[in-house]
Amino acid sequence: MKVDVQKKVKIIQKSMNSIRKMDNTVHTISFSRLADEMAMPLNELTDFFLDIEDMFLNEQTRVTRKMVGLVEKGLKDCKTPNDARELLENSTLKLIELLPDHSDLVYSAIFYLPKCLAERERTKKYYRQALRKIIKKGWPGKIDSVLERQTDLVLLSLYGYMEYCVRANQRERKEIQKDFINMINLHLQDRLFF
Amino acid sequence: MSKPTSNLKDKVVNKAVNSLRKSKRIEQISFASIAVELDVGIDEITSFYSTTEDIFLQAQKKDWESLHRYWDKQIKKAKTPGDFKRAFEIFFERFVETLSKDADLRFELSCYLPECVKYRDKNRIKVKEKFSKLIKRGWPGKDEKVIKRQSELVTVLFYGFIDHIVHIPKNERSKILSDFRNMLNLHLQDRKFF
Repeated sequence: MKVDVQKKVKIIQKSMNSIRKMDNTVHTISFSRLADEMAMPLNELTDFFLDIEDMFLNEQTRVTRKMVGLVEKGLKDCKTPNDARELLENSTLKLIELLPDHSDLVYSAIFYLPKCLAERERTKKYYRQALRKIIKKGWPGKIDSVLERQTDLVLLSLYGYMEYCVRANQRERKEIQKDFINMINLHLQDRLFF
Repeated sequence: MSKPTSNLKDKVVNKAVNSLRKSKRIEQISFASIAVELDVGIDEITSFYSTTEDIFLQAQKKDWESLHRYWDKQIKKAKTPGDFKRAFEIFFERFVETLSKDADLRFELSCYLPECVKYRDKNRIKVKEKFSKLIKRGWPGKDEKVIKRQSELVTVLFYGFIDHIVHIPKNERSKILSDFRNMLNLHLQDRKFF
């Protein structure tokens, strides 16, 4: 496949705009219909993507790859509890920067496209184990059962945060990020957890 | 709605969900095949539903309307801050108790199908308004700004909770429900909210 990144980005942007104008349901949109809608030769789409599912998977994994890179580097450089706390905070900030304008469309489609759904499950497992490491380093002294339970709670909270952010504008995202991270901090300060 | 009508509608929903579980393709669900499997005429199905999407939309509405009816009764009965706190907590209990066995698929469709997404967004506002009312009465003394921010945050977390709970086995749900409620309680005890 070609790797003309600029062209690929333009095609994604144009495709997402067209999908939004059409009817938003990925299962009713074929590549040929999309090409017609965009008045673009079909092969310009197929040069980069196998099908619609491949295009959405590409968008989904693009954000995930960047997030994983950030978290892995952060974990590697993590020396003190404060480093781990900052990593959690910075990751939630980075996420809102990374989400493209069409992230609401990608978010919806993920729930229907099998490869995207499988990728979502894989990513969720990754985030869980990464969060567990961050919590263990950032808020030391918790027993294992507390660590597990709090990891699950932070994970589900993070997915609620993501869902909100894909639909919110930049200002709303930043506002909720502050409150979200403060709430998580308050929760994780509880060493014995009830 | 009469019982036979309600039963038939439930059967149609179950057939559609089963079919989706098998094929993973919404375009492969047809009124004709559901009618054959249920041994009824297609016109009986089309008298209730206009499209396949409509089957899932109506099922989604039915579940939420029932939950709101129950919740409203609890809110109406509440007199003291303790009662309002209880109405807040009981909502989560009821939500988990009444999840259908296909809650995972129904949730995924509610995030994907355009009409279901619209309903979901509308309902989210309704849920947030009720959280706001309960926070105001159950944890009195907060200023309006704090109530607004905490209601938003609780709603964000609740939608992450939904995503999580529908994807875990039934026997694991009560444990996370209890932890989730405790986390929210701790957060709401903070009168000034940072």
